[in-house]
Amino acid sequence: MRTAYRVVAYLIAAGVAVQAAAIAFGLFGLSKWIEDGATVDKSSIEDASFNGSAGFSIHFITGTMIIPVLAIVFLIFSFFAHVRRSVLWAGLVLLLVIVQVLLGFLSFVVPGLGALHAINALAILVLAIVAARVGPVPRRSGQATPSGTNEARV
Amino acid sequence: MTLVRHRRALVASVATLVVLAPLVWFWQASLIPGSYQASSLGYHDYGGGPRLPGTTRSVASLTEQVHRTPDVRVTLTARRERGHGIDGYTLNHRSPGPTIRARQGQLVEVRLVNASVPDGVTLHWHGVDVPNAEDGVAGVTQDAVRRGHDFTYRFVVRHAGTYWYHSHQVSHEQVAGGLLGALVVEPAVASPGREALALVHDYGGRRTVDGAAADRRVDAPAGAHVRVRVVNTNNGQLATWPTGPYRVLAVDGHDVHEPGVVRDRSVIVAAGGRVDLDVTAPARVELSGVALVVGSATGDARRPTRTLDLLRYGTPAPIGFDPATATRHFTYSIGRRPGFLGGRPGLWWTINGHPYPDVPMFTVDTGDVVVMRIDNHSGSVHPMHLHGHHVVVLRRNDIRATGSPWWTDSLTVANNDTYDVAFVADNPGVWIDHCHNLPHASDGLVTHLMYEGVTEPYRIGSRNHPE
Repeated sequence: MRTAYRVVAYLIAAGVAVQAAAIAFGLFGLSKWIEDGATVDKSSIEDASFNGSAGFSIHFITGTMIIPVLAIVFLIFSFFAHVRRSVLWAGLVLLLVIVQVLLGFLSFVVPGLGALHAINALAILVLAIVAARVGPVPRRSGQATPSGTNEARV
Repeated sequence: MTLVRHRRALVASVATLVVLAPLVWFWQASLIPGSYQASSLGYHDYGGGPRLPGTTRSVASLTEQVHRTPDVRVTLTARRERGHGIDGYTLNHRSPGPTIRARQGQLVEVRLVNASVPDGVTLHWHGVDVPNAEDGVAGVTQDAVRRGHDFTYRFVVRHAGTYWYHSHQVSHEQVAGGLLGALVVEPAVASPGREALALVHDYGGRRTVDGAAADRRVDAPAGAHVRVRVVNTNNGQLATWPTGPYRVLAVDGHDVHEPGVVRDRSVIVAAGGRVDLDVTAPARVELSGVALVVGSATGDARRPTRTLDLLRYGTPAPIGFDPATATRHFTYSIGRRPGFLGGRPGLWWTINGHPYPDVPMFTVDTGDVVVMRIDNHSGSVHPMHLHGHHVVVLRRNDIRATGSPWWTDSLTVANNDTYDVAFVADNPGVWIDHCHNLPHASDGLVTHLMYEGVTEPYRIGSRNHPE
């Protein structure tokens, strides 16, 4: 279970990388599309297909579906993984992912929040990697460790 | 020790259940049956009015009660075909399809033949308040026309104006793919003036005017007035601005009362909406990427920073009923929240707090005066389209309309905007009331206006997918 926990943590970290790559691909593609003569308005952007437009779809699907599902799976695995404070780490990752999705939508209304969306992405990346690298619950014969007890109480 | 280990596994399992149970519950609750009647989902909303048992009638019986030889007869053959650089759809091998022209009061008969569209097709007469059985919504007013089959629409065009038609089967795909065309209703007594059509459609992100990806030229001597009929068939609002002064003669097929001269402003055409502009040659009518060039105009014009506000344009005129006597008051509140839609996780549109199909069905009786408050706090703009009726705008963000009666069938509701609109329920049937950013409708931003006693022989699901 510890391996599964780690794999999911790294998948979440990889998901953040995919998100950064997808949105950069999309934005550069959009920029080139405009440079090449496209006129962008609400109508054209709704159905646009240009070299890079897939980046926006990938960012949307990964961000609103794949990573949130991974974060929930991560939390469930954390219940079973004998990793120090695993539930705390997974809970934090899930919390930041929820904040991230909310920021993603609120930023369309308040673009300044987009800066927090980017910074929070880095926080998720770091947190997921740290969570993946935490050591196992130390074993003591016949007794759960304090952290182990904590874990069980969650 | 095994006891500790067992206890730990038990706690972990319980915690897993605590996380998963609500998710499974919400997922299960969101499932939509494989096929269902539009009127069987959601809940009735009577808008504070009485609940009267109407005479029971089937949608299929609500046809045009005019029996004579049609004045205009058209056959449109729908095909899945490549064109405009995309794998799209054509009508009579063209996209946009042929422009249908009729005079006010004429009986129009259109035979739709499906030659090769795998999903089936229908035709909806966008903006024409046809009888319900002619409305062309798959699974609501008819079954989608399968390959090798046909369907005949018959309706009288009672209002002169600019309209369009499009498929209402898998519409988020078929409309974007070009299964559409213009419908122009000229006044009963033909006006002698010049006119031009500017139907705007994007094929795979390439903007076209009347099917051409380049500027379209219309001959007109200097000083001549030309009525330009702008049709926005896309999923987002379109800005248009003629060079030089102009008037907005009509919005959504309804004349503006005493339209004033407009300078240095663009007009926003809702997705699905139309405006008729009166321009003087030479002029360019910019359509945000392409243009209709009237006469010998050259160069192009930057978009004016200001836009025309239809709430204050033109002068007041009687609307034919008193909204203060409304017997039903509905709220159409658009939001967005995470959850499941038909088992799919995501962020979904909500109507009055709940995602599809847990939405209000606005239930009315024939003759009711209805006031509807549409508010949008979903973070996105929504072009709202009620079938079978035109609504008049009373207020936007509690500011009263002071211009010409603003009749509309496709109303751009921006985020954080609230509109109060009114209409008379005078066209019995089951009418969908949805967002005309069609992928939004396919993601559940759709409900119905239903008349008491109207029953449906059709089902959504299996082969009918209206959105």
